[in-house]
Amino acid sequence: MTYIVQTSGLTKTFKGQEVVSNVSMHIRKGEIYGFLGPNGAGKTTVMKMLTSLVKPTSGEINILGHKLTNQSYEILGKIGSMIEYPIFYENLTANENLNLHCEYMGYHNKAKIQEVLDMVNLKNIDSKPVKTFSLGMKQRLGIARAILTKPDLLILDEPINGLDPIGIKEIRNLFQVLSKEYGMTLLISSHILNEVEQIADTIGVIRDGRLVEEVSMESVRGRNTEYIELVTPNQLRACFVLEHELQIANFKILNDKTIRIYDAEASQTAISKALILNDIEIESMNKKHTSLEDYFLSLINGNAASAQGGGDAC
Amino acid sequence: MLNLLKIEMKKMKLGWYVRGAVFANFIILGFLWMVTFTEGKDTFQKIDETFLVIGTFVRAVFIIFGAVLISKLIISEFKNKTILVMFTYPINRKKLLAAKLLIAAGLTFITILISNACVAAAFFLLNSIYGVIPGELTASMVSQQALKMIVFAFGAAGTSLVPIFFGMRKHSAAATIISSVVISMLISSTSPDFSISSIVYIPLSLAAVGLIFSFLAVRRIEKIDVF
Repeated sequence: MTYIVQTSGLTKTFKGQEVVSNVSMHIRKGEIYGFLGPNGAGKTTVMKMLTSLVKPTSGEINILGHKLTNQSYEILGKIGSMIEYPIFYENLTANENLNLHCEYMGYHNKAKIQEVLDMVNLKNIDSKPVKTFSLGMKQRLGIARAILTKPDLLILDEPINGLDPIGIKEIRNLFQVLSKEYGMTLLISSHILNEVEQIADTIGVIRDGRLVEEVSMESVRGRNTEYIELVTPNQLRACFVLEHELQIANFKILNDKTIRIYDAEASQTAISKALILNDIEIESMNKKHTSLEDYFLSLINGNAASAQGGGDAC
Repeated sequence: MLNLLKIEMKKMKLGWYVRGAVFANFIILGFLWMVTFTEGKDTFQKIDETFLVIGTFVRAVFIIFGAVLISKLIISEFKNKTILVMFTYPINRKKLLAAKLLIAAGLTFITILISNACVAAAFFLLNSIYGVIPGELTASMVSQQALKMIVFAFGAAGTSLVPIFFGMRKHSAAATIISSVVISMLISSTSPDFSISSIVYIPLSLAAVGLIFSFLAVRRIEKIDVF
């Protein structure tokens, strides 16, 4: 297995407080790695350590086959990043900023500048200084700058912040293109779980500075997470019917009115028929599946197992 | 390194500095000439003294200009967080900071030399017309003064680096510039009988301090976390 990024026991302490604890993450070549965690969980600090902006207190980082040290400068040329928020020389135009970036990176194909601006769909910005840009525009420009030199590894911290829904869709597609067509490896942090769910190949969940889970989306999707959600004012009787008439044991009571049925064999038609025959009113009944959000939230709360459903008896 | 110096100079856009320096030269010349002309022969007794006062004024002004350069080249990068971008480039942090300090000190050295020469030349040109200061300006006097100018300019360029110590503590442009003003005032005190600014060891010692502070800042930069 080729890992582009591998950390072991990565720890960062600020003023005696561990903000990142013993993080061992593994990012495979060419994949999109979604980095999930609530605010203050340590995502940005980990990303800053990967880009050498923050020095680890202990632990090791291996990037693109090299151990990252205080003197690892060359490797930074193969990493594109946008961490925390897009930072630019605000009085310069987008073009001037990207030109400067090329010069510092030692990248001479300046024709690429227009190409990346087109890729992120940033238009009519010719002579405007960056300080006049909206957050969404800066975000697009930040992504353009990060991908300008075709890095092997792209590290983006909350890249869709400030983008409108159309912008989010465009950038999502761009990430897929960068991963699939350009072979870039992407590490993307976000708190918008739906977004990560749609694009990531692997997710890493960080809580209180600890990486609590690192799992491929394929295996998350493969889990038995489909269920039928039934809303009825007569919950007790409904439970009785489910258990004794339909022999369904794998269900869970969510609140006074809602029941989740996890039994894969249970058909919606059979359930509704049995309930109606027993004069049990149905307010709604829908087939759903546990989203990454549920899974993620359960990880944050520290009970991953329950997210996959389990039958609570009435 | 040369390429780095080029990029940094290009990024900084030197126009404001050149305009500021020219303007400052006119102000220094105008002020000194006005004082000399209105006060007459009481102001400067000798040509040597005139050179000393011109040099002192020029150095005091451009040490402060030097602090503005440090603030623009280094402190503002930390303050505006653009250092977060700079440090993700495949460029040695030490080299980057050293290049910025070299630009600040180098520009200060060159500007002091040119300004000193220009203000002195203009001043003595005016004097040759109005004849306020007694004595004759000889070639040996000029060459001796030129040598002094170089040594003092070197001292002043090094001194202009001292504020990096104060500026880097909290990444404050104000602390950088205020410390340079204080240093300028301290080393420029002059009275008819005695002048601190005539003692070359003072700026040279301060230059050594400036170089030590710069060295420490450069050595430390590789290990620091940037937020």
